[in-house]
Amino acid sequence: MSTSTTPRIPTAPLAPVAIPRRMSPRRWMAEIGWRHLVGLAAMAFAVFPILFVVSASLNPLGTVSSSGLLPKAFSLVHYEALISGSRGPFLQWYLNTLIVCGVVAVTQVFLSTLAAYVFSRFRFAGRRIGLLSLLLVMMFPAILAMIAVYTMISDLGQVIPVLGLNSLPGYIVVLLGGSLGQVWLIKGFFDTVPKELDEAAIIDGCSHWQVFTKILLPTLTPILATTVLLALVGVLSEFLLGSIFLTADDKKTLAVGLYGLLQGDRSNNLGVFAAGSVMIMIPVIILYQFLQRYIVGGSTAGAVKG
Amino acid sequence: MQIRRQSFLALSGVAAGTALLAACGGGDETGGGGASDAGGASDAGGAEEGAAPARADADLVIWTDEEKAVSLEEPAAAWGEANGLTVAVQIVADDLQGNFVTANQAGNGPDMILAAHDWIGNLVQNGSISPVQLPGNATEDIAPIGIEAVTYDGQTYGVPYAVETLVLFANKALTDAPEPKTVEEMVEAATAGGADNVLALPVGEQGDAYHMEAFYTSAGGYLFGKDSEGNLDPSDVGVGQEGSITAGEKLKELGESGVLSTSITGDNAISLFTDGKAAYLVSGPWALEDIRTAEIDYAMSAVPGFEGLDPAVPFAGVNAFYVAAGGKNPAFAQQFATAVASSPDIVEQMFPKNELPPVSLELQKKLAEDFPEIVKIAELAADGDPMPAIPEMAAIWQPLGQAQANIVGGADPESTMVSAGEEITGQISG
Amino acid sequence: MSSTHAPAHRERTTTIPAIVVRVLFLGAVLAVAAFTVPLMIELKQWMWLTVMVLATVAIFVLYSTKRFVPGKYLFPGTFFLVVFLITPIILTIGYSFTNFGDGTRGTKEQAVDSIVANSVQQTEDSTWYNLAVATQGDPVEGPFTLFLVDPETGTVYRGDETAPVQEISADEVTVTSGFVTEAEGYTILDAREVNAAYDALQAFAVPISDTSAVRVQGANQAFEGTTMLSYDDATDTLTDSLTGDEFTVGKVGDTEYFVDADGKRAFSQSWLQSVGASNYERLFTDAGIAKQFGAAFVWTLVFALGSVLLTFVVGFALALVLNDERMRGRRLYRSVLLMPYAVPGFISLLVWSNFYNRDFGLINETLGLNLDWMGDPTLAKAAVLLTNLWMGFPYMFIVSTGALQAIPNDVTEAARMDGASRLQTTLKVVTPLLMVAVAPLLVASFAFNFNNFNAIQLLTEGGPFLPGEYTRGGTDILISMIYRIAFGGSGADFGFASAVSVALFALTGVLAAIQFRFTNVLEDVN
Repeated sequence: MSTSTTPRIPTAPLAPVAIPRRMSPRRWMAEIGWRHLVGLAAMAFAVFPILFVVSASLNPLGTVSSSGLLPKAFSLVHYEALISGSRGPFLQWYLNTLIVCGVVAVTQVFLSTLAAYVFSRFRFAGRRIGLLSLLLVMMFPAILAMIAVYTMISDLGQVIPVLGLNSLPGYIVVLLGGSLGQVWLIKGFFDTVPKELDEAAIIDGCSHWQVFTKILLPTLTPILATTVLLALVGVLSEFLLGSIFLTADDKKTLAVGLYGLLQGDRSNNLGVFAAGSVMIMIPVIILYQFLQRYIVGGSTAGAVKG
Repeated sequence: MQIRRQSFLALSGVAAGTALLAACGGGDETGGGGASDAGGASDAGGAEEGAAPARADADLVIWTDEEKAVSLEEPAAAWGEANGLTVAVQIVADDLQGNFVTANQAGNGPDMILAAHDWIGNLVQNGSISPVQLPGNATEDIAPIGIEAVTYDGQTYGVPYAVETLVLFANKALTDAPEPKTVEEMVEAATAGGADNVLALPVGEQGDAYHMEAFYTSAGGYLFGKDSEGNLDPSDVGVGQEGSITAGEKLKELGESGVLSTSITGDNAISLFTDGKAAYLVSGPWALEDIRTAEIDYAMSAVPGFEGLDPAVPFAGVNAFYVAAGGKNPAFAQQFATAVASSPDIVEQMFPKNELPPVSLELQKKLAEDFPEIVKIAELAADGDPMPAIPEMAAIWQPLGQAQANIVGGADPESTMVSAGEEITGQISG
Repeated sequence: MSSTHAPAHRERTTTIPAIVVRVLFLGAVLAVAAFTVPLMIELKQWMWLTVMVLATVAIFVLYSTKRFVPGKYLFPGTFFLVVFLITPIILTIGYSFTNFGDGTRGTKEQAVDSIVANSVQQTEDSTWYNLAVATQGDPVEGPFTLFLVDPETGTVYRGDETAPVQEISADEVTVTSGFVTEAEGYTILDAREVNAAYDALQAFAVPISDTSAVRVQGANQAFEGTTMLSYDDATDTLTDSLTGDEFTVGKVGDTEYFVDADGKRAFSQSWLQSVGASNYERLFTDAGIAKQFGAAFVWTLVFALGSVLLTFVVGFALALVLNDERMRGRRLYRSVLLMPYAVPGFISLLVWSNFYNRDFGLINETLGLNLDWMGDPTLAKAAVLLTNLWMGFPYMFIVSTGALQAIPNDVTEAARMDGASRLQTTLKVVTPLLMVAVAPLLVASFAFNFNNFNAIQLLTEGGPFLPGEYTRGGTDILISMIYRIAFGGSGADFGFASAVSVALFALTGVLAAIQFRFTNVLEDVN
């Protein structure tokens, strides 16, 4: 692939590097304004189902057909019901979710990064086949292997109770089965970092571990932050395994607990369910706000120019 | 750059982070790799301490769905206290039946479950539940349909406590016939009343054979024939037979006139009625609370049949307590089952949080004054037909519902019903 | 800490702290192994034992020397992968050669126990006794004696397996509120002890007459009943004590059951058996599956490819558009566009499935349409793709945004210096670079959607189904169709489902291999 053949078009006017403080409205429209239009359209598409969820969460009736895009009534009963614990120990579920998601996402990204580093930077027997089989294993229709996983964990619980059923660590280790799930993504980004960078460092006397931690990781902060977020959200909505692994009320995660509410009565629990969903969304959005500092504006400058 | 990176790691907040930084200064090859692994392992370790106290192994563990769990929690705990036992009622979020069978087989299941009676066939073939003998005085107090429902192959497998069936709710503001005797009368009254929809009966794209059963039987449809001993005979499938085709023709008419529609689903049927958009609703006791909340002036009656055809026989579903065959505490489970069977006290305590029509005749009498609708549903259920509990029933739901939905949508009744019958027979024999 | 002045002088020697860390770590591994291995042997958990031993050996080989550098990095993730993904796959392959499913989950012994236990019949007008279990021996092992009080009359009885039930004088025991609480020479078991011994007590029958016996129910009740069936190990037959009928093991289909004299299945309980390749035979010969497989396969490909392309194109385009540093409010845009991804999938799907309702759905209502989204196969396919686009584009958007940020500024600056316009820079410089990073991801995303069961099941359940068609609905992808076949009809059939998974897995593998051939994403980019 010819990735970096820069096109030379002499007639094109040189774009100013420094942006003038004032642009003519036409120019502004051509350069920036249309971006806002696209952005607004995308926001509308993204947000209308969420508006529905939010307005359902505020609708005291809590039924599907009585909810619309805009709240017709305003009531916090569903939120109160959740927080007061009358529909199950919601706050405990919240905490469990934070623990599970946090531990799994961070571990997953960390272990994936370790592996991605090796796949990107080392040449060893079985590398190609390893990468390929990694992808293949991920393609296995896992829902059909659930019984097998259940039996395994049920057995393990007899030896090490804390890793058995109805225990968060047990659930966590099962989810860590997807530890290498982010390898492909991260490896792609390792590959974009010029190899000369770490070769130079090796010549300087750095070990591979130092190259990894001091040169590559900082370069990849944006993508690691992104990956943590993606992994976290992936874990957040897991309920198939959770609903068989976590039956004790105080061990459930939000997804499992809320799904139980929904199964109880689909048409009438929408309000509570929607309120729960809003409360799941909020931390994710806050986290993204926080991570944006790393995702946006992070660059390779530090490492490259050193 | 440097600051960012550190606080990023701080965010990660795991031992791995520190191990990583420490190793960074060390500059040693193997130490680094080793430390990282140790870090990974201590992640799990950290969570262990925080989140997992000793496994809550109560003396009696009961699994059920959310609504039943809410109602059972306190009465069960009270009973446990009186008997010096601890009781845990747990909600299984998804697929209670399948998860119970799996867990029971693995020796990690509950001691009891609380569920509908039509699971019995499958639970028995999996060896998941033990028989429960009902004391003689109990059988006198339990409505016959309750006993019939939990009796399978001549053995009683559960203690019935509540019965549900589908009834017809009418919005008096939208119709002059609050208790129509026939489908025709109902349609006429609702049309005259000018409601948006005549009837809210969930069909959906996939069909709903449960809600359609009353109409299906009224037109002469049946599911399984009975053998000489009165047991259901899975080799005699009624779908595709003459009665089912008549039913199909009726459904097609109702579909064409807009009384039945695939756009009415389990998600919106009740709320169409409570929002005043539908004049009638076919639903069960679970709809009562919403109807009351919406302050609809309603009447309740048996689901009507078609004029000049058989009476409509809806399904009756009986909720019962079952003793798990692989539970850790079978004695306590049996003890609790006997306690529920011997006196209606526990069920009475469950009632306020989940108003289900009781099977106990004594309790029905007690509740008749304050909860006439509930008791009426219990009485109507006596005329219903217990849902077949044989495992072969699993083969019925999807094809029959599908065929009914297709016919409501305009498909040919005869060929569609016949094809559904063939599909069902094929699944049962295959 | 500063990476800019890495200690170039440092020799690659092993330092003392490093040795200590390594020794401690390996020691800990050894300790865990030493603790768990005997337990696993005791509990006969050979699978976990193998895992434990192999893992310990691997850790020692990999981390005790300086060799195997890639292995050191790969091991932690691979360990979890092997244990929780690959082992289940192997177990699944094993299941695919059995009849594992509803009715056949346990052992033959369990099936016989269940049949016999279920045949206990309460005698008509049985008295229910208040029970106390007592022993002169061990409270766990027995032998047990039952003390019964008839609550109606207050008469006290005693009996055990050898001595039939007989009335005893109330003076011999202490009766408190209807229960025998003390008996001389006996230890009365408390409820927990009864519970612990319950397996033995359930089989315990104290003869009361020729045909019936007192049976224990729960911790403190007993009734009169008879076990109708008995099992004879030697002849492998069940005998009905009342009618004398005998039931022997016979094959019905590919599974053994207890059958009556006519060879008809007498009890629904069966047991786990090996059935050879018959699950695979069924898969390849079942007319319904064979007929529908092709169409389902094509739609699966369209769905998976369509989902990947749509989400990527939309997500990437938005990332590009919103990546202009002159734009205000980018944070707001990004945060809002993330939202669909932050909602758990199952609620999104529930909400969307209501949007598509023909008469009451938000889409038709808002846009004034009367489209039968869920009833028309083509529209339903469009609906599935649209929903999947909504659920998936934020992912691509976030990844693309992250990737755009990771592209060094110097690269774009250089292009701009060379006179490329913004658009040209984007198309010719940024996009190719970004593709290097995300191409593998697109492959992974394709793989995910190929088996995206939830997206179909929770939205359309595979429907709409044409009249007379029950195997495949308009939006059924392979996995959702197979799932219905394996779990819909005659209860859960894990053996068959496993065979299908394995076949599907093989098919996916072949597809992936072909894909790699064409796209060469595995080729090194540097």
